Amino acid sequence: MFQIVTLTLLEGFRHTLRLFFLTLLFSLPLGLLISFGSMSKLKALKGPVRLIIWVVRGTPLMLQLLVIYYGPGILLHNNIWGSGDNGRFIAALVAFVINYSCYFSEIYRGGIQSIPIGQYEAGEVLGMTKRQIFFKVILLQVIKRIVPPISNEIITLVKDTSLARVIAVYEIIWEGQSYIKSAGIIWPLFYTGVFYLLFSGLLTLLFRRIERKLSYFR
Amino acid sequence: MAILEVRNLKKSFDSVEVIHDISFSMEEGETLTIIGSSGSGKTTLLRCLNFLESPDSGMIKVKGEELLCNETLSGMSEKILRRKRLHFGLVFQSFNLFPQYTALENIMLAPTLLAKSDSSFDASGIEDNAKQLLDQMGLSDRMDNYPHELSGGQQQRVAIARAMALRPDILCFDEPTSALDPELTGEVLRVIKDLAGKHMTMIIVTHEMAFARDVSDRVIFMDNGIIAEEGSPAEVIDNPQNERTIQFLSNYKKNI
Ligand SMILES: Nc1ncnc2c1ncn2[C@@H]1O[C@H](COP(=O)(O)OP(=O)(O)OP(=O)(O)O)[C@@H](O)[C@H]1O
Ligand SMILES: [Mg+2]
Repeated sequence: MFQIVTLTLLEGFRHTLRLFFLTLLFSLPLGLLISFGSMSKLKALKGPVRLIIWVVRGTPLMLQLLVIYYGPGILLHNNIWGSGDNGRFIAALVAFVINYSCYFSEIYRGGIQSIPIGQYEAGEVLGMTKRQIFFKVILLQVIKRIVPPISNEIITLVKDTSLARVIAVYEIIWEGQSYIKSAGIIWPLFYTGVFYLLFSGLLTLLFRRIERKLSYFR
Repeated sequence: MAILEVRNLKKSFDSVEVIHDISFSMEEGETLTIIGSSGSGKTTLLRCLNFLESPDSGMIKVKGEELLCNETLSGMSEKILRRKRLHFGLVFQSFNLFPQYTALENIMLAPTLLAKSDSSFDASGIEDNAKQLLDQMGLSDRMDNYPHELSGGQQQRVAIARAMALRPDILCFDEPTSALDPELTGEVLRVIKDLAGKHMTMIIVTHEMAFARDVSDRVIFMDNGIIAEEGSPAEVIDNPQNERTIQFLSNYKKNI
């Protein structure tokens, strides 16, 4: 039994991880674009971008999942997600990417804006170009400052992936829970917790390494 | 010929004029100090010279070359702007060293980048030059330290070396010691005095009256965006004529 449960949970965890990594792959860069938008001098760009960030961060991810999955079908009479597991997975991915890019964008913005203006000005009076200032002076300082909040957010994402089940994306908890009905046992549910613990523990170690790597300056 | 000539410089922030029609000139090798009360426009003047602020009008001429003549910086291409501002160096009150680079790397960064894009700038001597500058600042043993491992006085001396590495014609200092603990100001003032002895052309904004009197060839007293009084330290600091200068200096009498 243990072996069967392990295999099923592993299969569920594979979906969890797929959602996790794909979300990061798209939302980390997209967040940077959004943060540039939210800092733009153009009011026509900055205003709408900030509004979107406010809505996305101010409403539950679960609500966003439901709206993104069911919305197009009901409002536009066109189920753009297609049917079947794959369609639901893509809808979930889109919701996660939108949600997490907005969170990341605010972290990036905070990081970029926390760099003292004197760093830019020192670069300017030394005849450096805007590009050189950003890449040679600012970027590493921003990265150092955002690693802790980004790692928090990423560890939250590990656990948030379980929300995808509201649109029937089968992830690990779904699989664990199925044993309550089918076999009347609850330990598989605890077992799913072990997967999460191991994975988030691994990430914690990774981020601590990065932080230590960047601790040579202040 | 004057190394620097400034004519009718004006600068406003949101319709409040902060620099009213300032004109002055400097000879090569001269040390000019600018004194004046808070808000009189000293920092703004230095920032205009270094193109961190765009003057609204006026002329800036260095070594006979007009850098700016009644035009704003926004009309200038970035490339030309960068070339022109290299006539000046600026040492900030708050040092502004780059924290992720060692003392030596801080000094070498800008010359290295410049040598990449400008073939007329010699790349081979950059490291030796940087080490020599650190030596001149008394920091040879600190070249591999990061800024956070240095005291404020040491950081400011690295910042001076960094500004000098691009061999500016005129080096500007904006209150180089006001962010320092009193016991650290001496070491920074000493290296500046040392530079004055070597005839580096310098403009120094400072509240250190004893130092200003000691090191300057000429002193400018600024008040409300104008030059209220100008002359040798013996004239301006020891025997001021202008009412506002007298009033300003009376607050410093104890320090002199
Ligand atoms: N970016 C800015 N925007 C608006 N006003 C400014 C700006 N920078 C300076 N000012 C104003 O310009 C005036 C002159 O400021 P400045 O910093 O040049 O004075 P300062 O002589 O250097 O004073 P301090 O001795 O305190 O450093 C002040 O009234 C200041 O409030
Ligand atoms: Mg000032």
